[in-house]
Amino acid sequence: MEGEMPHAGCLSPAPTPISPLALIELQDHLLAAGHDLSRLATLLDDACRQLLLHFDAATVQVRALSTDDLAGRERACAEIGKAVTGLQFQDLSSQLVTHACDRLRYCADRLATAAFGSDDDAEDVVAAAPSRPNPVTQSEMDAGSVELF
Amino acid sequence: MSSILAVDDSASMRQMVSFTLKNAGYDVVDAIDGVDALHKAGERKFDLVLTDQNMPNLDGIGLTRKLRESAAFKATPILILTTESSDQMKQAGRAAGATGWLVKPFDPAKLIEVIGKVLR
Repeated sequence: MEGEMPHAGCLSPAPTPISPLALIELQDHLLAAGHDLSRLATLLDDACRQLLLHFDAATVQVRALSTDDLAGRERACAEIGKAVTGLQFQDLSSQLVTHACDRLRYCADRLATAAFGSDDDAEDVVAAAPSRPNPVTQSEMDAGSVELF
Repeated sequence: MSSILAVDDSASMRQMVSFTLKNAGYDVVDAIDGVDALHKAGERKFDLVLTDQNMPNLDGIGLTRKLRESAAFKATPILILTTESSDQMKQAGRAAGATGWLVKPFDPAKLIEVIGKVLR
């Protein structure tokens, strides 16, 4: 159309190529971030398992208490049950971390390919991009839905 | 005592599910993925299978499909306990023969209630 404004992208300066050294530095940062996330997942897993062992022991202790206060025992067990629901944050976060690590690894491999070029052998070691969105859509720790077919 | 095969690739989730089910009086056997579950299901009968969906080697829907091919598990309740909540995945689970779909995180009391209901 006559008089139409040019697309904003047409006014942008041409992108500056990134040097191979800069690409390698970016790759290092991505890999380091991936390793940190993996360590975080390991720490969360260990903490969660330790807490569960204590909850297990606490449940045994509560059940061994006097039967004079059955209602109190049940309330204590219900509170431990709620803690178990909360502890599942570890499973959700672990899946999120794994998915994020896969994406970081893919980006790092793409940068390496851009820096060094690719050949048939290199293609084999480039991580595949995650093929689907992250399955974890929860943003809070309320108990999930139940559907019987 | 009813026996339950609990399948999850996360060690902490297996621990949480076992903790919950054993406290409710169930006999629980763990499996680390669908292939391990199939192996254990081939060794003995279970009254119920509770499985995660996203696992390496064989996922929960694949496991359900395989178990339904076996006469021993044709009528056994199979519950899928997963972070997945899309209708598309639920329908795939249903088509594979799952009895129900539970979205994580689970509430222990609710899980026990649902298991009691499907075992009746």
